Amino acid sequence: MFRNILEKGRRLAGLGSLVAALTVAAPAMAQDKEPIVFGGSIPLSGVFAFAGIHLHAGLTDYTDWINSQGGINGHPVEYVMEDTAYEVDRSVAAFKKISGSSSPATYYGDSTGFMKAIASELNSQGNTLMSGASFATVLTDNETYPYQFIPGPNYSQMFGIILEYIASQGEGGDMPNVAFVYSDTEFGKDPIENGKARAAELGIEVVEEIVTKPGSVDVSAEVLKLRRVRPDYVVFHGYVLSPINEFMVQMRQMGLDTQFMGTFWSSDKLIIDKMGADADGYMGVMPYNYYDSEESGPMLDALRAQAEKSDPEAGYRPTGYIQGWFNAMVWTEVIKRTLDAGKELNADNMAEALASIEDWDTGGIIGIPVTVRDMSFPVGRIWRVNADEGRYEPVSDWIHLD
Amino acid sequence: MDWLFFGEISLAGLAMGGLYALIALGFVIIYKATRVINFAIGEIMMFAAYLFLAFAGGMEMSPWIALPLAVIGGSILGGVIEKTIIRPMLGESPISVVMVTIGIASILVGLVEFVWTADPQLLPNFLPREPVFIGELYLAPKIAYGFLIGSALLIVYLLYFRFSRGGVALRATASDQAAAYSMGINVRRVFNMAWVFGSLAASLAGVLVAATGGLSPQFGIIGLSVLVVVIVGGLDSILGALVAGVFIGWLETVAGAYLGGEYRMPATFLVLAIILVIRPYGLFGTHEIERV
Repeated sequence: MFRNILEKGRRLAGLGSLVAALTVAAPAMAQDKEPIVFGGSIPLSGVFAFAGIHLHAGLTDYTDWINSQGGINGHPVEYVMEDTAYEVDRSVAAFKKISGSSSPATYYGDSTGFMKAIASELNSQGNTLMSGASFATVLTDNETYPYQFIPGPNYSQMFGIILEYIASQGEGGDMPNVAFVYSDTEFGKDPIENGKARAAELGIEVVEEIVTKPGSVDVSAEVLKLRRVRPDYVVFHGYVLSPINEFMVQMRQMGLDTQFMGTFWSSDKLIIDKMGADADGYMGVMPYNYYDSEESGPMLDALRAQAEKSDPEAGYRPTGYIQGWFNAMVWTEVIKRTLDAGKELNADNMAEALASIEDWDTGGIIGIPVTVRDMSFPVGRIWRVNADEGRYEPVSDWIHLD
Repeated sequence: MDWLFFGEISLAGLAMGGLYALIALGFVIIYKATRVINFAIGEIMMFAAYLFLAFAGGMEMSPWIALPLAVIGGSILGGVIEKTIIRPMLGESPISVVMVTIGIASILVGLVEFVWTADPQLLPNFLPREPVFIGELYLAPKIAYGFLIGSALLIVYLLYFRFSRGGVALRATASDQAAAYSMGINVRRVFNMAWVFGSLAASLAGVLVAATGGLSPQFGIIGLSVLVVVIVGGLDSILGALVAGVFIGWLETVAGAYLGGEYRMPATFLVLAIILVIRPYGLFGTHEIERV
């Protein structure tokens, strides 16, 4: 009997060993599959470095996280990047180097300029799907940029979401009016014409347009112009911080009760950190939940856990971090769909997989299921600064444009 | 024509022009004494503004202590640059010296990115925030008080150059280096003094401009835009720097208000082109005649 038990025990131990060995070996076998490469021209230095370091952290942390989950369909993921200093020629050189040595399936572009410059090469290679820091409207032209997409709403769609919110604030047929303030750059001018057309459709009068140099400029003359038209809303675009602060402070000093709104790159916590109490009431359109919002979901929780794990001292993670993470999330979904369909991993098939995304649950990164339209995710929500709490709070539902 | 609006716009432009004049003064003092066009002047402004941020923001000093400390820090930086980098270049071609100042500018940008990161910054508020009215004309308080502080330094400088021993030595060296040297003036010391005074003016302007428009490692670009002021006024003319600074500030603002922000720079460069055609040495610059 004792021998019998010993024999059973040996068999069980053998079975247990086999199960244990398979459990250990499964990820190892997954790691034996060919790696999938995420490439990136990343602005770790230069004028966009304030965002670049966080984009990079988001992409790095996502890569670590997805590998900890067994990679993509068993393929490990490698993230290969070069610092570009936000210079187009260096971004192009980085792309050529990385695409020559690592054959990336997907690639992060650091600027609209780079993504436009590389389009013909990207199209002729046909191997790589690209997205990045840009939300430029022009990149959603599928004829010219078939292998590039926007990881959120493009700038015109952001204006569309803002204007829908403003229109919803009209009481008793008294539609608010609006002024557009934008920088004299390609970035700044991007959504203006479409924004004016959309405002006209919604019955919102655009009472003033102000163009400024980007960055550190005196805007007192421009504020004087706005005082004369007394807009209900001012929508900023093409800035990160300055001169938004000066417009807000000076217009409030003049006793105007104008409300101020901005688009993605001017809707981070930086505004609160630098402006303090003066930032109170500022509103931004944001396609993702903020890191410190009260929202949750499996992916948002995973993001927070991974961020905490990779750098416990970092605390709040800016929207650039979430943007980097979301880019990589979309790449993963697209690659997975392509592989699941048994198709070759090339730009055509990945673009097709991207276009097939409908009612996609992003696990809390975006608060509602999203559908891809014209290579973008036309969804967002209006958030308002609560300076006392030091964070943004939602003031609208999620708005998904058709 | 809305004359009230024109008056307010003009006032804002003139006040901003006062700050341009202060930066231009920094250019001119250095050029006048040493014949070096200092392309790092914008970055010296930026460095001083970051020093102010460190003292008033990071170390939580009173802004009125942080301001002179930052300005003195910027002027010491100018003096050190002259003594350690520019002085060994004496006698080298002007292009080499200009390239060295461009190199210094890049190093300063890298330094502030390293120390303060590339994040855009706002300086702690230290100027009164109550609106300023001159009659019925509104003027933004930061611009108004910035102009007053800048003007005070301008007046001190003008008195110093006119009446002090050091000022006379500086003017003498600017007029004729060899004659000044033969009269016992320590020309090397005057060179150093010019860099210190030029950097001091730029540093004060740097803090005042950054207090209005914010700060980032790209802030120094404003130094290059003020080059237009210096060329219009005359590279070696203090009076030219003052007049052209105020005029360009006014023109930029009026063009921006009536034509649109995208016409600010074209308007000033149009004036620059006209001045260069009519008076290549600037409105008040010295017309040097070379005899072969």
